[in-house]
Amino acid sequence: MGRERGTGKRQKNIRYFDYTLLLIVFFLICFGLVMLYSTSSYNGQVRFKDGAFYLKKQLQADILGIAVLAVVSRIDYRIWKNFWLLAYIGGIGLCTLVLFIGEESNGAKRWLDLGFTSFQPSEAAKLAVIIFLATIISKMPKQMGKFTSLAKIILIILPMVGVVAVENLSTAIIILGVAISMLFVASPKYAQFFVAGGTVILFGSVFIMMASYRVERLLIWRNPEKYEKGYQTLQGLYAIGSGGLFGKGLGGSMQKLGFVPEAQNDMIFSIICEELGLFGAVSVILLFVIIIWRFMVIASNAQDLYGALLVTGVLAHISIQVILNIAVVTNTIPNTGISLPFISYGGTSVLFLLAEIGLVLSVSRGIRFGQE
Amino acid sequence: MFRNKTFNRRKLLIVFTVVMLILAFLAGRLVYLMVVCSEYYGEKAEDLHERERDIKAARGKIIDATGTVLATNRTVCTISVIHSQIKEPEEIIRVLAKELEMDEEAVRKRVEKVSSIERVKSNVDKEVGDRIRNYGLSGVKVDEDYKRYYPYGTLASRVLGFTGGDNQGIIGLEVIYEDYLKGTNGKILTLTDARGVEIENAGERRQEPVDGNNLHISLDYNIQMYCEQAAKKVMEAKSADGVSVLVMRPGNGEILAMVNVPEFDLNDPFTLIDAGEASQGPEAQEEEGTEAIDIFQEPEDVEEAGTEAAQMPEATETIAMAGQTEGAEEEGEPENAKTAEEKKQDLLNQMWRNPCINDTYEPGSVFKTITTAASFEEGVVSLNDHFFCPGYKMVEDRRIHCHKRTGHGSEDFTQGIMNSCNPVFIELGLRLGVDNMYKYFEQFGLLSRTGIDLPGEAATIMHKKENVGPVELATISFGQSFQVTPIQLATTVSSLINGGNRVTPHFGVSVKDSQGELVETLQYEVKEGIVSPETSQTLRSVLEKVVAEGSGKRAYIEGFSIGGKTATSQTLPRSANKYISSFLGFAPANDPQVLALLIINNPQGIYYGGTIAAPVVKEIFSNILPYLGIEKQAAPEQEGEGQEGNPAQE
Repeated sequence: MGRERGTGKRQKNIRYFDYTLLLIVFFLICFGLVMLYSTSSYNGQVRFKDGAFYLKKQLQADILGIAVLAVVSRIDYRIWKNFWLLAYIGGIGLCTLVLFIGEESNGAKRWLDLGFTSFQPSEAAKLAVIIFLATIISKMPKQMGKFTSLAKIILIILPMVGVVAVENLSTAIIILGVAISMLFVASPKYAQFFVAGGTVILFGSVFIMMASYRVERLLIWRNPEKYEKGYQTLQGLYAIGSGGLFGKGLGGSMQKLGFVPEAQNDMIFSIICEELGLFGAVSVILLFVIIIWRFMVIASNAQDLYGALLVTGVLAHISIQVILNIAVVTNTIPNTGISLPFISYGGTSVLFLLAEIGLVLSVSRGIRFGQE
Repeated sequence: MFRNKTFNRRKLLIVFTVVMLILAFLAGRLVYLMVVCSEYYGEKAEDLHERERDIKAARGKIIDATGTVLATNRTVCTISVIHSQIKEPEEIIRVLAKELEMDEEAVRKRVEKVSSIERVKSNVDKEVGDRIRNYGLSGVKVDEDYKRYYPYGTLASRVLGFTGGDNQGIIGLEVIYEDYLKGTNGKILTLTDARGVEIENAGERRQEPVDGNNLHISLDYNIQMYCEQAAKKVMEAKSADGVSVLVMRPGNGEILAMVNVPEFDLNDPFTLIDAGEASQGPEAQEEEGTEAIDIFQEPEDVEEAGTEAAQMPEATETIAMAGQTEGAEEEGEPENAKTAEEKKQDLLNQMWRNPCINDTYEPGSVFKTITTAASFEEGVVSLNDHFFCPGYKMVEDRRIHCHKRTGHGSEDFTQGIMNSCNPVFIELGLRLGVDNMYKYFEQFGLLSRTGIDLPGEAATIMHKKENVGPVELATISFGQSFQVTPIQLATTVSSLINGGNRVTPHFGVSVKDSQGELVETLQYEVKEGIVSPETSQTLRSVLEKVVAEGSGKRAYIEGFSIGGKTATSQTLPRSANKYISSFLGFAPANDPQVLALLIINNPQGIYYGGTIAAPVVKEIFSNILPYLGIEKQAAPEQEGEGQEGNPAQE
């Protein structure tokens, strides 16, 4: 499984590098580009007179991301320990900044205009939380059994969650989910997490009660056909349903022709279902399963707790996003904007995801075969 | 450096397991959506993607007995705008308002309305549509379509009828035979994106339209045309309000011509007939009248109905009431309370009425044929019965005048009908009695509708039987105090002279599909034996005498045996001194092949039916009898010469 013997026998230890993960991520990236082109060419043609508009932008982000991946995977991951404070402050800073000078799009301020491109700080915040938490926890692993230390860490994280939640509730939920997952893995106890879980549910309910439009979302979720705002959800279901077992074939989607709004973004999975059918959709899920499985293997075999926690964070991040995205698209949970990792259109997202993969690969490099 | 502990791995496994379980659940959800709900959502999605476009079926033609097409189709355009494709709304508004001659505001409303497709105007001429198409405006769609077209414009306008915006029949045969004519529209199913733009090469599904069937009618273009000219001529000569001509085959009820002048233009049915046409009458009379006067103004005896006004009994109350209510409808409504639009609509409805079918009138002396038939059938009179006319007849305490105030003196029945002597028929009516009179009306089919294949046939307005006293009975006997439609009168007389078979008057003969294959031969009810053949024979012979020697002699054509009866009736209210002159004639008298009823409404000057209506029928007959292949009879020709002296002797 991707194990590689060091060149010759110059080194006694067999160096490890997870090629399986790399291969599948590359495959997903390429598959994502194909699906993105299929999905976005109509919108690109309509809006920019260029069917490949979205493809080109995504391709640029992918190439940049792969370069970042290559660099990060070669750097010893332990270096990032030194940046925990920068990550924390930088994350909060950027997310606060975006509230004031952010570019508005579809009624939400989520982008920072960098002149040549725009940047979504909440994507950076996810990586920042992973690095920050992994460092903090690995510095005091003995205290992780205590409820007070858990509470403390949660309290430290909350400002960042709060700042993100103002404009982007779903990303805040992901950040919180990632944090809790990392704490769960680091802590030897279980009971506390039921308390933590309860807190999250409470937190979520308060949020829902705070804004009536979120209550409305719940109603739409139960009955998308009765509400005008259930349009997007319903169109997604039409796309999925009309896919059937084997789909309409690549490029054959009708729903992408303006019926599913912004089909290349969060709803791209519904178009995958329509074009590739149940088998295509399940294959995509299986690819993610393999990635997550590799994460688990790497985390379990990581040289140290820090590396294990880094990988756990990435695992939690990608798992939560995949689950939430598919759940939203299939109307299993109320509608909220979460992109499908590696496939949905979004430069910042794919850039940081590839950086995270680089991080994981760097951890995998540290595994010394035979040490266990 | 802290090592990764065992519990960390176990917890990692728990996280992984939870994630896998959730993903498995979501995969299950996908199976549910994509297998179980697939059909439901798939259909919904298809509904969303498919746009249906109608392909209009061509409406069937209406073809006359000679094979002449009287109603057909013409290509016209429908102009629509597709909101999402509009690029230069101001330019589009300007161009459409100009080309379609529409109000700019009205066009703006259509253009700016947010909808997938909005119809701006239909039934636009092909040239205008082509012009608009040539502007090349994006978002403007020009669809070709069929519009009804009547090659002869005004010919038989109230018979054929016309169609509305959706090509549905509005009046006339177009309404009655709608189901045969309309055909089935086809469909094009195309896929469109969310903006309603059709996707090219998506493979459209087509459902071909089925063209409407052609209707073949008994109306004969040549006869109709000839009757229309004759009617126009007499209308102008007599400055009449209107002239109706009905030509039918008494044997089977087929109608050969139905003219109601002035006719309106079927290709422009929403424009009122120019009122000037009627007022031009007097002037025209001076020019064209010279000829007419030669024909009409020959010295002759005053023949009938002169005193009908004076002796109109109270018995006519019912009718008078009916007449008044009708009058109230037409004139009595406060005109200022109506908007110009409503007023125009009323006038249009009035114009579209078919007086032969939709309006009733007092038949006057033509009705004496029916009294005669009833009397012979009941046996209350024979040809040799003698009557005496002192110029009036007392009924109860009333003196009912004959049109000849000086009286016809002693006469037998044949002479009575030749003179159209009122006292003779009053006598017959009294001999029959109310019960018998109504029994025969019922038997002759006079009290029900004829069942003609035109919409809106009016019913006969007759006294209630229990209200009929001797005076009413007397007036009914010579055709007054009640009203029938011209078609009812013509049909009833046809049935009495054809040997006693009550026919259903009709235009529709057969229905053929667009390839000319027979679809259906139209069948009509015939009620046999409404009078005995003997009575029918007697009636024919006395009516022949009327034309040969009596009041209808101006319809006599040398070499033909023609039967007929004249009538002059005064319209309600009597004080207006308006008259309806009519003549009903048929030929050949012994074996009727064709029957014509001519009605002149409100002629000026001389208004006697025998003087002004009979010559028109003569003119029509002298042309259409040879046309219909009815040969001059060689033997009676000499007889006719002999008879020529008769009028002078009278």
